[in-house]
Amino acid sequence: MHEISLVQNLLEQLRDLAHQNNAQRILRVKMVIGPLSGVVIDSFTFGFDILTKQEQLFDQATLEISIPKVVFRCVRCGHEMETDGQRPSGCLACSEPILMPEGGDDLILQQVELE
Amino acid sequence: MCDACGCHAPTHGHNHQHGHDHAHDHDHQHEPRPNGNDSLIVDINRSLFAANDALARSNREHFDTDGIVVLNLISSPGSGKTTLLEHTIDRLGSEIRIGVIEGDIETERDAERIRAKGVPAVQLTTGGACHLDAAMIHRGFHQLQREPGGDQLDLLVIENVGNLVCPATFSLGEHQRIVLVSVPEGPDKPAKYPKAFTSSQVFLITKTDLLPYFDFPIEEATREALSLNPALQVMALSAKTGDGFEAWINYLRSLVKSNQERTARA
Repeated sequence: MHEISLVQNLLEQLRDLAHQNNAQRILRVKMVIGPLSGVVIDSFTFGFDILTKQEQLFDQATLEISIPKVVFRCVRCGHEMETDGQRPSGCLACSEPILMPEGGDDLILQQVELE
Repeated sequence: MCDACGCHAPTHGHNHQHGHDHAHDHDHQHEPRPNGNDSLIVDINRSLFAANDALARSNREHFDTDGIVVLNLISSPGSGKTTLLEHTIDRLGSEIRIGVIEGDIETERDAERIRAKGVPAVQLTTGGACHLDAAMIHRGFHQLQREPGGDQLDLLVIENVGNLVCPATFSLGEHQRIVLVSVPEGPDKPAKYPKAFTSSQVFLITKTDLLPYFDFPIEEATREALSLNPALQVMALSAKTGDGFEAWINYLRSLVKSNQERTARA
């Protein structure tokens, strides 16, 4: 459950942002969570729901998460396979087992709406 | 600025980009813009890993300045990290100055086991947190430097909290990340917990003395791990019988030696 630590880090950034902008409420938080980021989305959402309940600044905050696709590229023939994060067992073109993922390991605070 | 040493550890990562199309100070305020409900939308586009990564880079600079090689051991609880360390100290303690930072949720037990070997050790108890992060290592490293012998090290080994999931996400500033799987855990760990293997440099299979009693095809585990990360160095050993231990010891010796040569050149 390192997701709780990451949510705490997120809330700290949001408090700073609210302070800088003289805002009273965080309304909407948009995150990008890659399937290979090592972050379990249900745990992250759970942490967000629990921790935001304890503070007036966040009591109306909603969390929007977008999940990018991952491209696995074959190291032998360069064939690309796009998935939701699952690693194909081998290259569909040449059966090579070694596939390198591109992207999908990000955990990004993308946009915040506040008032 | 770090309180313990005056080093320039970043306390708040300011190396991020602002999402606005104009530069401004952090105490600058926006006027609320009319977008229907008087709310303000701010583009951030910043990684939540950025703060930890900045501290990890600062740790790494510290380690490099002091000429210390740093390892981060990651595994499930009970895969033999502390036992591996005890035997490593027995074998190398007289030729390489070793220090240890132990991470656990509770108790001083592991640090006590290491101190009993005559090596400086610090216990970090996370109080429930499932991983160590760069800030904890920063504090732990300064604490270690105040222990007898802790300010003159060739090799620092960080034993992360026993967990194959969460520690993989947090860089500590280490030079080498080592993922351990013991024979009783089974060969499917690389496939089930890929991030620990894609982010490591070494895959260490431990407790090989138990191979006759468990179904652990080393070749299959190695193949799976290499398909995730072809650059992984794979070693298999038993601390109990000493089987395969020589390769591990030689690996540590060569890490320390090349680091000393690099430091001497600098």
